[in-house]
Amino acid sequence: MRHQGGQLQQMLRTLRGHGGWLSVWLLAAGWLALPSLGIAAEGAPAGPVEYRDIPGIGSRNIVWVIAQLHLLLAGFVLGVPIFAWVCEIVGWKSGEKRYDKLAKEFTKLLTSSYATTALFGGILLFLLIGFYPKLMNYLTDIFFPSFVFYCILFLLETATLYLYWYGWDAMQDGGKKTFHLFLGFLLNLFAFFIMIVPNSWATFQASPVVIAEGTDLARAWAATWNPTWWPVNIHRLIANVVLGGFMCGAYAGIRYLAAETSEERDHYDWMGYVGNFIGVFGMLPLPFAGYWLMREIYQYNQQMGITLMGGFLSWLFILQAMLIGVLFLGANYYFWMGITYRIPGSEMSYRKPIMAMLIILLVCLGVWMTPHSLVASLEEARKMGGTHHPLLGVFGVMSAKMTVANLMILVTFMSFIMYWRAGKQETATWAKVARAFMSGVLGVAAIVVIVLGVWGYFVPAIVRINYFSTSQVLIVLFVMLTITPLTAVLLKSAKTTTEMVWGRMPPRAGYALVLNAVMVILLMTLMGYARSSSRVHWHVYGVMRDSSQYAFSPALGYAAAFMALNTFLFCMLVAFIFWVATMGDKGKATGYGGGEKGKLPHGVPAMAGGSPPRGNEQ
Amino acid sequence: MDEVVKLQLIGLTVVGLGIVILLFIRAQFARVVGFVAIVLGLFSLVALSVPQMASLPPAEEKFDIATVKTPTDLAAIGQKIFFSKGQCALCHSIGPSESARCPDLKGIGAKLSREFIFESLTQPQAYIYLDYRHEGPPKEYPARMPYINKNPIGLTKNEILSVIAFLQQMSGEPISVSPSELEVPGQAPSAPVKAGDSGPVAVAQAR
Repeated sequence: MRHQGGQLQQMLRTLRGHGGWLSVWLLAAGWLALPSLGIAAEGAPAGPVEYRDIPGIGSRNIVWVIAQLHLLLAGFVLGVPIFAWVCEIVGWKSGEKRYDKLAKEFTKLLTSSYATTALFGGILLFLLIGFYPKLMNYLTDIFFPSFVFYCILFLLETATLYLYWYGWDAMQDGGKKTFHLFLGFLLNLFAFFIMIVPNSWATFQASPVVIAEGTDLARAWAATWNPTWWPVNIHRLIANVVLGGFMCGAYAGIRYLAAETSEERDHYDWMGYVGNFIGVFGMLPLPFAGYWLMREIYQYNQQMGITLMGGFLSWLFILQAMLIGVLFLGANYYFWMGITYRIPGSEMSYRKPIMAMLIILLVCLGVWMTPHSLVASLEEARKMGGTHHPLLGVFGVMSAKMTVANLMILVTFMSFIMYWRAGKQETATWAKVARAFMSGVLGVAAIVVIVLGVWGYFVPAIVRINYFSTSQVLIVLFVMLTITPLTAVLLKSAKTTTEMVWGRMPPRAGYALVLNAVMVILLMTLMGYARSSSRVHWHVYGVMRDSSQYAFSPALGYAAAFMALNTFLFCMLVAFIFWVATMGDKGKATGYGGGEKGKLPHGVPAMAGGSPPRGNEQ
Repeated sequence: MDEVVKLQLIGLTVVGLGIVILLFIRAQFARVVGFVAIVLGLFSLVALSVPQMASLPPAEEKFDIATVKTPTDLAAIGQKIFFSKGQCALCHSIGPSESARCPDLKGIGAKLSREFIFESLTQPQAYIYLDYRHEGPPKEYPARMPYINKNPIGLTKNEILSVIAFLQQMSGEPISVSPSELEVPGQAPSAPVKAGDSGPVAVAQAR
């Protein structure tokens, strides 16, 4: 069968005009139900097959589900090695075995998910070859050398992962430990390349470049280095850390809820804190990477940029704002709960700052999710003087959104600093000056971010995009890079006034961790849909048109239903994998019970907040 | 039943199921599943409450020269192309617009010669890429007018001429594009639409 794209699209347009999307889908299902071989036998023109289909769900939808599950799993298995390895280094440097055990626990989750990731990748490949032979032929012709490289990378990654995981206990001390850390480095190196190679295929589809004649390798390289490749690489690298962190946090949250002993509760409380910390740590620079990606898209093709942010996908970014806002609220809420429950007696002193931060976050979220054009009746539009609200319309543009995004990042960063400093008394002689300096830096930064945001309304777009927005980002980065080391140095000599207590968090803390993970997963499904739809009816934008019956992009509601389905399937899949992987853990001591309670590790700023009490270490 | 309504009902059912689980089931994992169901159901309901816009591929319009008898017929085709295949309205507005990122095209047919408009559509790098508004040498814009006669838009010469006719008509100008200029498939092309002989600067002076 070649395809019946043109006829079906005409019918879709006609039926859509009669308000019947359901009838459209029934008709599509009717077409799909016809046996494809039968149609082919009825005298379709000879020639290479361009598309195949599957009755019922449709080829595009099944590829959507499998591709999304593969990408979510891949994001997890590529993000976890980063912080598992860092955690192992922290344990090695500080001599604290609990960090090594935590790193091993992260790696256990990763190893058990690895095979499933590859499995879904294989299924996806078969589906793409089967359903989209025209596209796959074209991409193979350009990228074949990178396919070979990709296969080699998988062999290297798998071998390294086996050695890293199975050799963990055997390579605990001395030179063996150094070698084990080196394996961790290699694991991350190969993982990085495993990510950026398929990124080139996907980004080439969105922002293709002219490929001159040359060797296969030269052509593949030219196609790889397209305008959106590196922005996507950086964005996904950071996002993988966020996904991995929050998923580990959610795992810990669920184990915490189901914990039966105090040792388990302590351990998973701590693991939940670390997971949330890693997720937040990655989340802070992530909007900047997203902004860079969007800028490159606009630079490459203005229409694609406008399709995304001003065209039919513009409401998608309102949904994105809502999800990110809930994620920021959830991550901050978990920090605030940590201050309240892990540092007894501190809730009164932090109540006002927490309230202030909550209000700022809610206001910023409100501004971020305000659309530019309102859904209004003719009467309402007449009263407003147009589709833009005279007051709220002001918040619907990028200047407002960049400003509030930066403010939310600053607030979240301060939640983390507050948590880090809670229960401690600085003893350094210069502590007062340092605190005044940090307050000054924070205050000035916030004011400058707001001033630049307001001023941005009155300057040409090029000034706002090139100078103001980048200045806002640099200011926030400066604040984080200044306050973090200063706090670390201050706390090195600080005395603990209130010992941190683990295992006392209420059940809603576990649910907050689950909520954060679900938000991140939903965001990935949402932005994956945005990336695919930005190509509208092109397989390769401007080069290879989609001439199948699925050349349209569905409305946001239908797409969101698929996103929710994909998220749910992924959560169930991962829950199953983690359950199988940790089946043998029940009844085993985690090694964190009894002994000295509340002793905090020293000089480990990255894991601020200490760890559960020392105990019977395995 | 409307598809949106159907999906809303499914969303409400999922949320309801989640609430029931949280109210009546004690098993921890099941309660987490119920919580996740509520979150996902609410997300779907919110997504269904915003304006629903699908994106259909542009209709394959055949430019039927036989139906073009007068310049007004040409302008009518140009109007259709302006708002569909040409994707002009994606960036440009006709009349003031707060959201348009590109120049307002109201009256453009009167301000610019047809040669300059043709050059802007087919060779945007010749002049309009460059920002002449500021002091000193012109700077390039960060975002660029695409080549309208190349993919992904890929208007044919006939389609470009009809868009020019529309812009002129919309501006209240007499249409200077004649149906006799249209290229008939299989015949030798008519004389090309030349940009100003002295290049972009001379054409710019027409503004």
